[in-house]
Amino acid sequence: MARTKGYPEALEKKLKDQRFYREDSTPDFVNRIEKISRTMAHMCFQCGTCTGSCPSAPRSSYRIRKFMRRAVLGLENEALTDPDLWLCTTCYSCTDRCPRDIAPTDVIMAMRNIAFTHDIVPVNFLKTVQAIYKTGHGVPNNDVNRAAREKLGLTRDPPTTHMYPEYMPGIRKILDHYHMKENADRIVKEREG
Amino acid sequence: MSESKANHTFAFYLGCIAPNRYPGCESAAIKTCKKLGIDLVPLKGASCCPAPGAFGAIDLNVWYAMAARNLVLAEQMKMDIALLCNGCYKSIWEVNHKLKHNKDLRDGVNEVLKEIDMEYKGTCNVYHIAELLYNEKYVGVNKVRDSVVTPMTGARIAVHYGCHLTKPHKDREFEKSIMLNTEHPSWMEELVAAIGATPVEYRNKMQCCGAGGGVRGYDIVHSLDITNEKMINIMEAKADALTNICPFCQLQFDRGQIEIKEKFGISYDLPVLHFCELLGLAQGMSPQELGLDLHAISCEPFLQKVL
Repeated sequence: MARTKGYPEALEKKLKDQRFYREDSTPDFVNRIEKISRTMAHMCFQCGTCTGSCPSAPRSSYRIRKFMRRAVLGLENEALTDPDLWLCTTCYSCTDRCPRDIAPTDVIMAMRNIAFTHDIVPVNFLKTVQAIYKTGHGVPNNDVNRAAREKLGLTRDPPTTHMYPEYMPGIRKILDHYHMKENADRIVKEREG
Repeated sequence: MSESKANHTFAFYLGCIAPNRYPGCESAAIKTCKKLGIDLVPLKGASCCPAPGAFGAIDLNVWYAMAARNLVLAEQMKMDIALLCNGCYKSIWEVNHKLKHNKDLRDGVNEVLKEIDMEYKGTCNVYHIAELLYNEKYVGVNKVRDSVVTPMTGARIAVHYGCHLTKPHKDREFEKSIMLNTEHPSWMEELVAAIGATPVEYRNKMQCCGAGGGVRGYDIVHSLDITNEKMINIMEAKADALTNICPFCQLQFDRGQIEIKEKFGISYDLPVLHFCELLGLAQGMSPQELGLDLHAISCEPFLQKVL
């Protein structure tokens, strides 16, 4: 009679042997990704709908399906050191179309989070952090815009942290809690001298 | 057209690009909503949402905490949030949704917010202004149509929906299921038709503008190439103007056209207007009042056609 529950030991052993490990692979890479992204990355069956939906794919070597495979196989170094990791525009087309209900976009975001812990991050991302630490805005106000606002009957500075800088210490405390500013400053200094 | 009595009040979350690059969007949103019975009061002390691509890519936990701080400001005002940018919607709406449904995330965020004497309770809701305009519970297409004094007759207008308002659709909770079609939605076209203009269809309408995810800062040529593809498709449909509901998309299409000209040598000169600015024109406001002269691409040819 066929067994309905569990695998025979031999099959279990065989499956274990067939798991892909290489010297440079990190078996828990996919687990860390799943913890950060809250999506079941290991369920990917490589259909390629994600790459087919991707606006970045036709104009670069960025292939999101490849990153999904790297996640499953634990190819951490290969994934994190690939400059294409930063070409995702986070349009979520792949997430909307994934037949396995995975969010490949969130997998990319998780990989970027892990890359940051290794100081792998393009400088423009850090500049945004620095701008927010300084003014509360990623895109701060300027004098040309202040004059334009005045002409429109708006306040010269918007009623955000620009007009109420007393809110800034709170924002800085949140960023400092995660050591964002010191890490951003350190990495920018290393890159730009 | 008399101004109807305000019966909905929202805390108006501004974000960064609208107040600091396209102040016309900000004033257009306040004025047009006022005419439709929605009062937008400033959310004092709000910061960057923070940018979902640029900030979320570095550390999602900081993104949750920073967005939660903005949400707490609205909770303290005992108001729901209205905003006009898809990027902000992604941060503010989605973090609100995630924190409401995941206790572990909420506890983590509150631990950090405790340091600045704040607590996220999950008592406010977040809406995009486009969503309020379309939803009959707040405004609705008919009320938008009734508010028009200068119909945009004869203007062919292409719509750019942007990404983060509707995608990923499985998370979103719009009032009308029609808004959740992310392959080929048409609710923005209904709004464009309501102000008297002719909405035009174009190839690959739902494609991204190319600015998000930090790509605009990381690789501007790659980002503009995506924009250029959209521009080709829009021009093919012989549109007089492009309307959007996201100041970041607006920046990418408006200033992006100047950059495309510099980098690729192609000029389109297609006016790009936030839907609130367009609605303001239809409600009889002057282009100066809406800050249209601040756009990188001149809106003059379009204005001559419709006014």
